[in-house]
Amino acid sequence: MAVTRSTIKPMTTHSAPTPSVPPQGASVETGLESLAATGVQFTVIDAIRNNRPFTPAVHETILEQDAIVEVKDFSLHYGPSKALHNISMPVPRGKVTALIGPSGCGKSTLLRSVNRLNDLIDSVRVTGEILLEKSPVYAPNVDVIELRKHTGMVFQKSNPFPMSIFENVVYPLRIDGEKRKSVLKDACERALRGSALWEEVKDRLNESGLSLSGGQQQRLCIARAIAAEPEVLLMDEPCSALDPIATLRIEELINEISKRFTVLIVTHNMQQAARVSDYTAFMYLGRLVEYGPTAEIFQNPRLPETEQYVTGRFG
Amino acid sequence: MTHADPHNQPQKRPRRTPLAARGEPMVWLTGACLSVCLLMIAGLLAAVLVQGSVTFWQPRIHQFTVADGSVVMGVPVREEAYDAVGEELAAIHAARDAGALPDGSLHADGRPIRRLYRVGNREVYGEPFRWVSLYTIQNFETPARATLLERREWGVWVGMPQSVVREDLRPAPAEGEAFEAEGFATIEGEGGARRVERAVVQTPDGPRLRERVFIAEGPDAALSALQRLLPQALERWRRIHHLNQAAIGEINHELERERLRHREVELRHAEGRVTDAALGASLARRDARLAELREEYRHVEAEVAEIDREDARWRFVIVEPTHGRFAPVRQTEPDEFMRLSQIVRAVPANDLDLAGRLGVYFSRWGEFLGGQPREANTAGGVFPVIFCTVLLTILLSIVVVPLGVIAALYLREYAKQGLIVSAVRVAVNNLAGVPSIVYGVFGLGFFCYTLGRYIDAGPTVVWPKSNWLLGVVGLLVLTAGAVVAGFLARPVPGQPVARRARILAWSGGLLWLGAVALLVALFARSPFFHGFYRARLPSPTFGAKGLLWSALTLALLTLPVVIVATEEAISAVPRTLREGSYGCGASKWQTIQRIVLPRAAPGIMTGAILAMARGAGEVAPLMLVGAVKLAPELPFSSRFPFIHVERSFMHLGFHIYDVGFQSPDSEASRPLAWTTTLLLIVIIAVLNLTAISLRARLRRRFVTGAF
Repeated sequence: MAVTRSTIKPMTTHSAPTPSVPPQGASVETGLESLAATGVQFTVIDAIRNNRPFTPAVHETILEQDAIVEVKDFSLHYGPSKALHNISMPVPRGKVTALIGPSGCGKSTLLRSVNRLNDLIDSVRVTGEILLEKSPVYAPNVDVIELRKHTGMVFQKSNPFPMSIFENVVYPLRIDGEKRKSVLKDACERALRGSALWEEVKDRLNESGLSLSGGQQQRLCIARAIAAEPEVLLMDEPCSALDPIATLRIEELINEISKRFTVLIVTHNMQQAARVSDYTAFMYLGRLVEYGPTAEIFQNPRLPETEQYVTGRFG
Repeated sequence: MTHADPHNQPQKRPRRTPLAARGEPMVWLTGACLSVCLLMIAGLLAAVLVQGSVTFWQPRIHQFTVADGSVVMGVPVREEAYDAVGEELAAIHAARDAGALPDGSLHADGRPIRRLYRVGNREVYGEPFRWVSLYTIQNFETPARATLLERREWGVWVGMPQSVVREDLRPAPAEGEAFEAEGFATIEGEGGARRVERAVVQTPDGPRLRERVFIAEGPDAALSALQRLLPQALERWRRIHHLNQAAIGEINHELERERLRHREVELRHAEGRVTDAALGASLARRDARLAELREEYRHVEAEVAEIDREDARWRFVIVEPTHGRFAPVRQTEPDEFMRLSQIVRAVPANDLDLAGRLGVYFSRWGEFLGGQPREANTAGGVFPVIFCTVLLTILLSIVVVPLGVIAALYLREYAKQGLIVSAVRVAVNNLAGVPSIVYGVFGLGFFCYTLGRYIDAGPTVVWPKSNWLLGVVGLLVLTAGAVVAGFLARPVPGQPVARRARILAWSGGLLWLGAVALLVALFARSPFFHGFYRARLPSPTFGAKGLLWSALTLALLTLPVVIVATEEAISAVPRTLREGSYGCGASKWQTIQRIVLPRAAPGIMTGAILAMARGAGEVAPLMLVGAVKLAPELPFSSRFPFIHVERSFMHLGFHIYDVGFQSPDSEASRPLAWTTTLLLIVIIAVLNLTAISLRARLRRRFVTGAF
């Protein structure tokens, strides 16, 4: 596994930032037409197109793992439109799990459902459940603020707050009411070392977080996300706005971080998924299509749709 | 057919792109429009700057003889060509044909030119300004030692100084006893003999022998003696002024306080809350205190009288050229020389070099900025006006900024975006377009006459005590119900809003409305509140024009500006920042407090600047709710609580209107109106620049680095 991650050099320099909820439109249709030309039978995609039930191909090795997050029969609506369709998947503890799929397939939505960031949108309705450490995330008595403290999040575009580097990193502790200078300092150093930024910024912790370069800003955001020692780190296309070198550093960082945290990462870039993740889930039009160890998904997928997608023939 | 069908011919393309297509005319049009705007603004500013800054420049004093043979001395103000008619026109033509017209007395179009002279000397001439046709001027000169006196009252005096006189009143000689009417005396410290005049005069205390010692005679000696003696005279005037204002003001204040204290006891006695004995004690205490204060008053009065006697000895003789009359101490006593202390500034305009002129110029500016207004605002300074204007602006900012920001926060962050919020937003935007005088009427009706009167005298109609207490219970029930309903109606994220929750939410809102209405009613009908200032009635304290009500009215007027600017600033905070904060586990309020507000601060500052600028320049509502021509007691004093928000005040905007259009002497006050305008513009510019630099400093924190 580790060999796969490190031997493949980044190929795609820059993938266009994708909106988290794009309209399901022309690009998907074109993908299907090109598929039809290959002459292979695509039963799952046919089922999805015709809204027929189907069983996603979930590899058995995953089910044997200890799951930290369990998604069970989870559906999500934005107002009248359904964005996620009965998704069931466990996320193994201490591993990197990648969500891949074409734009608008609901991978970001699924990711943001784990820490209930979708609550910010008024029209969101959910059914089914997501368990974090065996406790339901969507139970009525759940303290959302507490939940989000257990799930750090890194966003597509780096979003350092308009404050000093130090304050950026200790933000989760500050809002938790932590005032002891020594605790804050320790947490700041630990988090910055964890995000491989300490050596670069240790002498200018009081400068604005916005004075850093793009890649540094994203690592600052990662430091912020891990400062509160979350159980799961959610990453929503963390490299999509970065140049190749910054991307490489973030990917190396993800490898480091995965030793301490469970990482769930959404990526638009299949090479990146192949490089950084232990497990990969392929989603399409709000459904889970195939989910298994990354090596199998990329080298020996069970469904022809997955093969077509990971080899870049549609999507 | 050699000619083909024209429709089949390939269309000939024009060789050049048409002008309209290239868009050059639009560049010209937009550029021209901007130029017009800039020219108007620059023209206005230039006019204000030039007119406002020449006000205090002292031109030379002219003296000449006019057609009727009388001598005129005055300061030129401006010139204009006018249409001469009848005999005058014939006379001009005759003189022109005879070649007897001086150069420059006719305009290029043949009309005669006249010049406005400030001649002053209102007691003698009646009119302090006089138009003089240039062709009538003869024997023109700018005499040395001609002096313009700025006096504390009755405007300027233009004339030739003659002497400085020391006057003493001595006991009148017995009937028939002879005295030396003229003679010479040696004055201590003055050196040499001085001419002395003696006469018996009638005073309120009976006949007295008045002895006038001419300390300095002749223009040169008089002027130098004046320069030497004037500081002492000013000091005496200041002393009297201080005693009258501060010491007697303090005694009056104490008198009033004692009267009010006793009046309050009387009112309580009438309500049966104070015993007869206590009332008697209060009365005795009041009388004792009043006697004490009257004694103090007599002391101060005696002190003032003593200084005034000394002050009355020092006189100045300055003679106007037309009738040869000297400046009198007051119009009703034309035979008495004016006192030295009546002079604010003596300007021998024709003897001044550039440095001297500049000295006069800046001395006048100093008086303007730091002094009190004189002569119905046509002279003197505007310090209290500046102070009140700045105070008002600060007060209104203190009120409007928090109110507007909090309201905008609710509208943008907490309220569910829907029809009602949109309606509120449209209403707020429309408020910005309501004519400001409407706010003035509202402020007068609501703040002054309703709220102010309530503070003064308490409610006019009261509920019986039992009903009122029942109302308090009802208020508690309503509030508790509203809180419970709101709590139960909280939406569950991810779940559709239940019908039950919707009904609960609505009823919670209605309960809040009811609770607030009941709270207001309880205040308005309280049987336990009798007002804070009822002893002072019927004269109002808060129930009249005042600084506080003006600040509140202007706050209301500028509220839409702040709300709109804040809403825009808040909504411009990137969503990614909020999500980042939520993702760290921050609650909504923590996100607002730590991320949204700091990030929106420059935009909020912009709104505050706009509100301040609008508020500081507003006049119409202030005429109704607070600004007066001359505030007898300014809203600040050395007495606790230092800022008296219930008092009326003076305002630069209103001052411009008053000086420019309500002045008894419009020619004299015209330059001052320009200068006051200049000052108002400068003050607003300074306020704005301060706020802008503050905003720039805030903004610098959010400048992104690389990327």
